Amino acid sequence: MAPSSPPRPGPLPYLGYGLGLRVEHYEALLANPGKVEWLEVVSENYMVGGGLPLVWLERFRERFALVMHGVSLSIGSTDPLDENYLARLAALAKRIEPAWVSDHLCWTGVQGVNLHDLMPLPYTEEALAHVVDRVKRVQDLLKRRILLENVSSYISFADSQLSEWEFLAAVAERADCLILLDINNVHVSAKNHGFSSLDYLRGIPVSRVQQFHLAGYEQGERLIIDTHDAPVSHAVWDLYVEAVRRFGRISTMIERDDNFPPLSELMAELERARALAEPLLKDAA
Amino acid sequence: MSSLQAIQQQMLQAVLAEKSRPPQMVRDDAIADASSRLEVYRHGYRIRLRDALKVEFAGLQCMAGARFESLLDKYVAAHPSEHYNIRWHGSGLPGFLAYAHPWREKPQLAEMAKLDWAMSTAFDAADESHIGVADLAAVPPASWAGLRLTLQHNLQVLACVYNTDAFRRAADRNGRRPHLRRYAQPRQLLVWRLGTGVHYRRLDDDEWQVLGAAIQGETFASLCASLAGHHGEAAAMARMVALLTRWLGAGLIHGWVLP
Repeated sequence: MAPSSPPRPGPLPYLGYGLGLRVEHYEALLANPGKVEWLEVVSENYMVGGGLPLVWLERFRERFALVMHGVSLSIGSTDPLDENYLARLAALAKRIEPAWVSDHLCWTGVQGVNLHDLMPLPYTEEALAHVVDRVKRVQDLLKRRILLENVSSYISFADSQLSEWEFLAAVAERADCLILLDINNVHVSAKNHGFSSLDYLRGIPVSRVQQFHLAGYEQGERLIIDTHDAPVSHAVWDLYVEAVRRFGRISTMIERDDNFPPLSELMAELERARALAEPLLKDAA
Repeated sequence: MSSLQAIQQQMLQAVLAEKSRPPQMVRDDAIADASSRLEVYRHGYRIRLRDALKVEFAGLQCMAGARFESLLDKYVAAHPSEHYNIRWHGSGLPGFLAYAHPWREKPQLAEMAKLDWAMSTAFDAADESHIGVADLAAVPPASWAGLRLTLQHNLQVLACVYNTDAFRRAADRNGRRPHLRRYAQPRQLLVWRLGTGVHYRRLDDDEWQVLGAAIQGETFASLCASLAGHHGEAAAMARMVALLTRWLGAGLIHGWVLP
């Protein structure tokens, strides 16, 4: 059966400046939420039967707007969509009513094996048609538009016919989904593949971008490794300014996945994002 | 097979293989060669799984000591992950340690991994309500003999030949590594969750016999008869009341079914 058109609720809300919720900051964040306006939760961490994870989640839900961010949808895999995964994802979304649900434009496994990594796709018409079909199916099931995030990548494929940004833009337009633009990932992939990060931003349709990620990376010997375990770099702050100029007022968050500093350091980074963006947005207004 | 399928399957094999050359479709360029590019994914896969398993197997880390990381690496190499949640890759580790050389020569490791994994699964098992002493007052006196207790689904009982609980306790409390002890007879270890806390404790022989019978759905009269075999008719009821009170206090009992 061909997927039907996804439901089209009104525009998603602007949430302001937020953080990725991590266990390491649970207590500090509840004790002192500071100017954090919303939280992004990793969907899979809460797709469980019960216990402590869901108790904490409910506590945060009382205080913050939440969005769900998955890592295992594997939207580009040639394995069938995992119905068990999708049922659990839908159940969590029903339970916590997030402002939106996102995952990555990638594949995480095939032949029943999960690599637990955000594997890049070849940017071909075949892959595009495959991903678009699957995004539509997922959106039908969740009864909402989803956001797809650009991933950092270290390889590219000889088969690719499109640039990464052309591919991402085409997926968003054809599947009628939205984009979570990870500014750090744009920078990392641009350096690793030798393209212009500004060309990337210019290739993304403004109306499709719903959220920004800001994060840090590690400089390897030849490649930049997207570790999300360091402060946001100068280059990424600069690119963020360009992104704000192009895309306008976009919900923005700091995403730290490892090497967790005190919460205050992430809050300071978030305030830097606010301080960079707000004057530009005021001028534009 | 579609071209996309072929690319994904070749990439999968290249990441999983112990030694591999990059598939031809991966581009070389002036920034980095294809091998260096592939290595980022190969290295990342192994590190991510190892780090996730470390969190789930604190007792095993305490028991295995310096061998812990190589043990995890061997497991990851032998068993690709099949679950979308990375921590669930731990489900196969107890079985791996039970059959794979050289770990099978040290069965305490598989036993330790079983306890760690039981605690992990109890941690975020489905929430269930439990009853207290006052709730049992609603049972009509004439119905007690045929009453069957229903227990929490997260409750697990492990037969332990070694003092694995001491290793887990040491890991949780950052204490000194205990000496390994082997028992002449297996001891039963109860693992369960009360609220958000995961607990474990040893069961006395008579308690295991009765709790095991309750798990099997035996009637209350059968549980009492079982205890009478241990303690004699006169003392059996007092012991049953003591056990029932303890189980209720620990939140083990979800409810009951009357005939």
